Amino acid sequence: MSTPSGRPSRSTARGAGRSKETKRYFFKRRKVCKFCADKIDYIDYKDVKLLSSFVPERGKILPRRMFGTCAEHQRKLTEAIKRARAIALLPFAAD
Amino acid sequence: MSDRTYEILLIADPNLGDPEVDALVALIEGYFQKEGGRIQKVERWGKKRLAYLVGRHREGFYVLFVVEGTGQLLREVERRLRVTEGVIRFLSVRVDDDLRKAERQKARRATEEARRRKRTAARSAASQEGIKA
Repeated sequence: MSTPSGRPSRSTARGAGRSKETKRYFFKRRKVCKFCADKIDYIDYKDVKLLSSFVPERGKILPRRMFGTCAEHQRKLTEAIKRARAIALLPFAAD
Repeated sequence: MSDRTYEILLIADPNLGDPEVDALVALIEGYFQKEGGRIQKVERWGKKRLAYLVGRHREGFYVLFVVEGTGQLLREVERRLRVTEGVIRFLSVRVDDDLRKAERQKARRATEEARRRKRTAARSAASQEGIKA
């Protein structure tokens, strides 16, 4: 991604309202939903390894925009996480 | 009433010894059989750390049952599980609908893929013809 010199690159311009000096780094946005890409049709609440990759340290379910999951899969993911919590596979809130 | 497929995942007391866990599993299998359920699978995951304290337990012995049966069956089994000693928590989920949907999705994708492949194959064949001519 080369931007013509003298002009701010798009990613900094997108740092909405912040001064230019504060350099902000963004994660490269994952464009497609992981579940669509990997063709996972059924999000299993028993698959702790998969689910925990979508649950940060603190144990919260993050909004869709953080992981780029599509609406349908976010819905299923949320359901699966909640089930996993009910049976103590995932924490409600980590300390 | 038509039969459903249910998954029942339960956490047994981690202080139980192996024979006691066996007895518990056999007991619960008995619950299903008495109500006319068909057991498809019993999986022992063994002792796992719990994500949070359940009662005063830090870990638990996970056992998964996959059963076919009616709603009445499940209701009765759940009632029994609640009063069964050694079961510290359980979760029952009806899975047939969701699995069926996932299956359908997979099938749809497969046909879609096949069609696309055929089309591109046809196109490349046609272009080969064009070069030869």
